[in-house]
Formats: sequence, structure tokens, C-alpha cells
Amino acid sequence: MSHPGRTLFLFLILVIAGIVGAVIAANTGHLLFNILWPLLILAPFFGLLVAGRTKRHETFIDGDRVLRHDGAARLEHWTHGVGTFALIVTGGLLGVWFMKSALAGGQPTWLAMNLHYVAAWFFLFGTFYYLADTIITSGKLKEHLPTKNVVKYSIQHYGHMMGFKKYSMPPEDKFYESEKLAFIIAVLSAALLVITGILKVLAHVIHAMPAGLMHVITITHDLSAILITLFLLAHLFFGVIIPSAWPGLHSMLSGYMSVDEAREGYPGWFAKITADDAEAEDSASEQADR
Amino acid sequence: MSEEKIITPEQEAQTDTAVKVHVAEGKKASSGAAQPASDQGMTRRRFLFSTGVVGAGALLIGQGVLAFALPNNVVAYPTSKGALLVDTKKCANCTSCMIACSSVHYGKASYELSRIQIMFNPFAPYPQGARQAQCHQCKDPKCVAACPTGANHVDTANGNVRTVDARKCIGCQKCIEACPFETARVQWDPTTKTSQKCDLCVTSKYWSEKGGPDGKHACEEVCPMRAIKYTTELPKVDGLEGYEVNLRSVDVDPKWAAYGLPTGDGGEWSADQLKAMQAAAGGATVSEG
Repeated sequence: MSHPGRTLFLFLILVIAGIVGAVIAANTGHLLFNILWPLLILAPFFGLLVAGRTKRHETFIDGDRVLRHDGAARLEHWTHGVGTFALIVTGGLLGVWFMKSALAGGQPTWLAMNLHYVAAWFFLFGTFYYLADTIITSGKLKEHLPTKNVVKYSIQHYGHMMGFKKYSMPPEDKFYESEKLAFIIAVLSAALLVITGILKVLAHVIHAMPAGLMHVITITHDLSAILITLFLLAHLFFGVIIPSAWPGLHSMLSGYMSVDEAREGYPGWFAKITADDAEAEDSASEQADR
Repeated sequence: MSEEKIITPEQEAQTDTAVKVHVAEGKKASSGAAQPASDQGMTRRRFLFSTGVVGAGALLIGQGVLAFALPNNVVAYPTSKGALLVDTKKCANCTSCMIACSSVHYGKASYELSRIQIMFNPFAPYPQGARQAQCHQCKDPKCVAACPTGANHVDTANGNVRTVDARKCIGCQKCIEACPFETARVQWDPTTKTSQKCDLCVTSKYWSEKGGPDGKHACEEVCPMRAIKYTTELPKVDGLEGYEVNLRSVDVDPKWAAYGLPTGDGGEWSADQLKAMQAAAGGATVSEG
């Protein structure tokens, strides 16, 4: 089995184990947040640990395709993404802010809370893995940060995608300015969720947590959840539903994008890759000449 | 700290395992030689890995130490200073107590938000037609013990009343499940997604009167039948049926007997009442009930 295959297998095993554990615990009247809270606090450290052992692959052209997202990028994305989605679903069922809980008391509620725990584990792992790996890998963070064109390009881009703005794409980089703007919202809401979520978990351990603080934390947690839900809906619409986004979706699954799609969709990025390849070839030939 | 660079799969194939992770030179990792990681000192990736290992290790070891170091304490809760008694034979199902309870706590007349529940069965004969579910402020509060966050707690500042701080409640409903009585004396507040229970009006913020163990209690104050009474001497709770209390006797409620209503423990006429009725009827036989 290939390395990405092994990672996917492990990922699926962990997901299944988490779901089974959540069901068993709910059926026996246990809350995972209560009995296994240290494992949840362990998830960020596990993310750091894995980031420390990760090998990143540089973008390269392989025949008629380009490696856009290496295995690490996909693992970060999907653990964070699946975790976020499951958190929103389970959290929504339990009730958010002014919304009532959709669940009956007892086992249905405990199961939703236990699944929330499992989702939180993946979310924390994915988030910290991504953060650590992005910060540590040279140039990775810069890829995601908006430039001075962010507002102008984003309006034009989304207008173009929605079909009410005529506009020819500027030579954008690996990620569109609009995606970089969304990245800021995602980081902000994820940071709030992580901080408030961990404090909510600690309330299971430290019963003397001030009630006023917990009240503010609960409201902030709910509002952050609403914010990240809005982000996810927009992300799904612009990243999955709209046909022009399908090459990007495909590369987030397989890692690769066709050369044509890279050239047309991300001319700025494609120009950089081809320039890097030419530079590498020059360097290799110089070494060979010596 | 050395600069960390990314490498291509081709480069990775040409280097040994240690070198793959820690290529550290030039603008880009170029093909060919790279220095072994051991020469680089503490790289950023190694630092991250170490942080992860140390953090995870500290957490696990800490847990292990705590598990052995902490004594297995038996938790004993201080007894509540008082509780509410309800005479089921006296209740007229008017639900005034429910409306009063939700009004003083939430400023709303709502059966759903009431912390005392009256269940009415119009087809059952007296006295089974009405059932009251109010918190007994148990000596061994299962609801408090079941709470994972300390939201359901013993309020030592207010006569040890068992109460829920909704701000800390996570809505798991473990306390509702844990209450041994049928119907549970802890209720679910669907609007706030938290549990709630009788706190003897400690938090009756919509009431001008002072509540709590030493204050007034809205349900008791409003009950037209005087079927609810606060007591500092908790009756013995008999199994899951709770307790039977008689608030109709002459010494507790003289008016009840004066109206000729039954004062017996089971809701029947007392022997004295039957005698008085016989006398009033000129010696004719008067049956019970």
C-alpha cells in the first residue's frame, strides 16, 4: 500500500473507531468529554508531533499533470474539514445559541455529545497539524495570506463565478485572493472555537470555573460555530458545487491537477512552477558541466 | 535555527531517510547532496516533534500520577437546610404554583419553565387524580453527583440548597436521568438548553420578596389550598414514591377541618370527623370518604 493509501486507511480506521466508541459510551451512559478528556487535550500535541515528522513535497510537473496538494496538505485539509463538518452537525443537533436542541434527552443527546467529542479530536488534530506544518514550511504561510489586491480581486472573482460580472482572471497565485480572504475568516473562527472549546472541556475537570466566564465562553463558542458554518457553506458552494472549482476539488482528493487547468486557472502560480523547473534544470546542467 | 525547505519526490528518492526530512540549504532544495540532519542542530521540525512528544508525554504521565496520587474520596454533601412538602390530598390541580414558579424565576407564566410540576389525571378517583413533582432536596443528591461540570451543585452560601447554575450547564441531561424519582425533579429548559430545578426561590429575580431557605417560596405563598409547605425537618423519603405528608390536620390547617374536609392521612375522614358528623346527623351511620 502506498504512503497516502496507508494514511487514508489509518484515517478511516480512526473515524470508525471513534464512531464505535461514541456509540458504546452513549449506550452505557458515559460522556467521552468527561471520561476521556485528556485524549482531547492530547490531539493538538499529536498534531505538532506529526507535523514534526512530515515530509513536504514541492510542487512539480509530472507529464500532463501538476502536483498541487501533497499528502500532508490533503491530510490537514480533510481531518480539519471532516472534523468541522461533524462538529457543525452534532453541535447543531444539540442546539446552538437560540436554536433549541433537536434531540430527546438521554442516549440521543449523549451520542451527539460523544460524536461531537470525536469530531473535536479530528478538528484539533487537523488544525494544529496544519498550523504547525504551515508555519514551519518555508513559504507555505505566505501562500495563504492575502495581498493588497484582496478586496478588488475577491469582488471580481466571486462576481465572475456567480455570472454577473464580466472579468478576465488576473494571473493569480496558487490560491485566489478570494480564497485567501476566506482563509482569514476560517482561521479567526477556528481559533475562537479551539480556545472556547478547550475551556469548555476543562470545565469537566475544573468544576470551580467561574460561571460568568463559562457563560461568555458558551456564547462565543456558539457564535464562532455560526461563523464557521457560514464559511463552510460558502466554501462548499465555491469549492464543490460550481463546475469551475472541480479541478481544485479533484486535486484536493488526488493531489494532482492537469497542466492545462493549472495554466488557465492559476496562471501566476503556473508561471512560478515553470520558472522554478527551468531554474532547477539549469542548476543541474551546471553541476553536470562541472 | 536552520531554514526548512521542501523537497521533491525525486530528491527524496535520492537521499537517505534522515536527510529527506531535514534538507536545509540554498533557495530551493536542489537535487544531489544534502547534509545529514545530525549536522543541523535543532531544526524547526525536530523542535515541533519534540514539543509534541513532551506535551503528550507530560499529559499522559500527569494523568497516571494523578490517578495514583489522588485518594478515592467518598463525597458527602451537606444536608439542605429545608425542602418543600406537598400534600397530594390537598392539591386542587389549579397549577397556581407552576405559574408562580416560572413567573418569579423567568418573568413568564409558563408551565414548561416551572420547577414544580403538577400532573392531573381527570379519570382517576380522588386522591389519585393529582400528582405533584417537586424537588425533595435529597440528602444524597444523585443529580449533583451526576453533573459533569459542577453546574448542578450544592449552594453552600444559601443553606445547601441543590441548584443548577445554568451558565455552567452543558445540557447533557445527566442530572435529569440521575434523579431517582418518577417524574424527575430536575427539568429540561428547552429555551436555554440547560437543566433547572427547584432552588427554593434563591434565584427568583422577578420577585420582590426574598427567597431561599430563610425567605419566602412563591409556590407556597400562592397556593390557595395551602397544600405546599416549607419545612426544615425533611421527612423520611420512602422509596421512589417519595413521602406522604398530611398538611390537613387541625394543628397544621385548622380551616381545612373547619370546612369539614377530610383530614385523615389517606385522604379519608378522620375518626373525630366521623363522630362529629354522626352527632350532627342525630346518631345516623356515616360512612368514610
